[in-house]
Amino acid sequence: MEVLEIILVIFLVFSALMAVRFDEELISIIFLSIFSLILTALYLLHKAADVALAEAVIGAGLNTAIFMSAISQIRHGDSD
Amino acid sequence: MFNNLIFIILFMLGFYALVMKTNLIKNVIGLNIMEAAVFFWVISFSDVGGEVSIHKLGEEVTKFNDPVPQALTLTGIVIGASTAALLLTLIIELNKFSGTIDREKIEGLND
Amino acid sequence: MEIPTETQPEVESLNKLMKKTLVSVVLAGVALALYRSFALMPGYQGLNLGLSNYIIESGLKDTGSLNLITAVLYDYRAFDSLGESTVIFGAVSGIVLILSRKMLPVSSKGLSFIVKRTLGIMTPFIALFGLYIMSHGHLTPGGGFQGGVILAAISIIFSIVYGSAFDYRRYSPQTKTALETGGALTFLGLGLAGILMEGAFLQNLGFLTAETGTLISAGSIPYINIGVGFKVGAGLAIIFYSMIQKTFEEDF
Repeated sequence: MEVLEIILVIFLVFSALMAVRFDEELISIIFLSIFSLILTALYLLHKAADVALAEAVIGAGLNTAIFMSAISQIRHGDSD
Repeated sequence: MFNNLIFIILFMLGFYALVMKTNLIKNVIGLNIMEAAVFFWVISFSDVGGEVSIHKLGEEVTKFNDPVPQALTLTGIVIGASTAALLLTLIIELNKFSGTIDREKIEGLND
Repeated sequence: MEIPTETQPEVESLNKLMKKTLVSVVLAGVALALYRSFALMPGYQGLNLGLSNYIIESGLKDTGSLNLITAVLYDYRAFDSLGESTVIFGAVSGIVLILSRKMLPVSSKGLSFIVKRTLGIMTPFIALFGLYIMSHGHLTPGGGFQGGVILAAISIIFSIVYGSAFDYRRYSPQTKTALETGGALTFLGLGLAGILMEGAFLQNLGFLTAETGTLISAGSIPYINIGVGFKVGAGLAIIFYSMIQKTFEEDF
């Protein structure tokens, strides 16, 4: 187990914890994107280049855009 | 050993978000984290210390990592993105009728 | 009548506390069970027996593809990839069915002039990178799925930076639907050609094989890659296009 991998895993768990903990959706989505980015580096360390590319493109790129477009049209109207 | 522990921590975090949080978007985020935990476990479990499983021209590589779990994981990642999009679409449509995404405050499903 | 209003929050918080405790106990139990069952698990043995060993030994000889993952995805398990494309098609159909409205798609006027010009210069390179990842799937890391999503990212960039009306004018939903259908038909057509020429559905076409390592080699794998790439890219672009907010606006 290399030192770099231990550091990345610690940040992975930290970003997942933050994504679950915050009540604001925007912050959790940004932490989910960071989570995917760290996961990409971990896949690359485990010598899985194809999976790393897919995770970078889909997890960090497309998923974030889809989540953002979803929360941009959600109303929090408790008044009516 | 170490990777099993990481898998358990991430999976339980996602499960916690799925069960305890009442915000529907947080539930989808929890599902995504559970998915990522399973994929990470599969990849790290099948890592036997070989090279990236791509042949190099004019070079004989003796030990590769297993390509089959990686191909299955690739399939899973793409399907996970499309199911997350479908779930978010249903949440948007639900929000249009009820005005909230808190699953304990949604009314009118019964009448 | 005053008693319920006073005790209601207490009961609710007590309920919540009980639920939290219960869920914590369940989570701890499941975690313990997972931990104990992981301790019983043997080490990884896939490389020494069966399928993986065969693919690593003779994958290059069978398919001519340097990238063994692409060989698994589009030759050995190509039927699986066809099922995956069908799942994406189902998701696209469901999303479009739920969210379709007859409105002009105007989400915003776009970002500032500097961002627009910079992305105008960068977009061809992004498209080139996507096409490279798609067509070199059998030589380098990558393949149809990753390249297709990079192409879908161009549509997302257009929607965010230039406003979705620009995306609507450049790549109308009809164009995207045609691209998706074309990709799926390419995949199915190569599968049927496999029946006619080699005797099994989605079998690698032998007469297309060339020298290993060149761009047009590995039988029908590059063509399937390009078809899957356009199908996945157009499908995910349709998903994003349907999910952005739509309002009536006249200055289109």
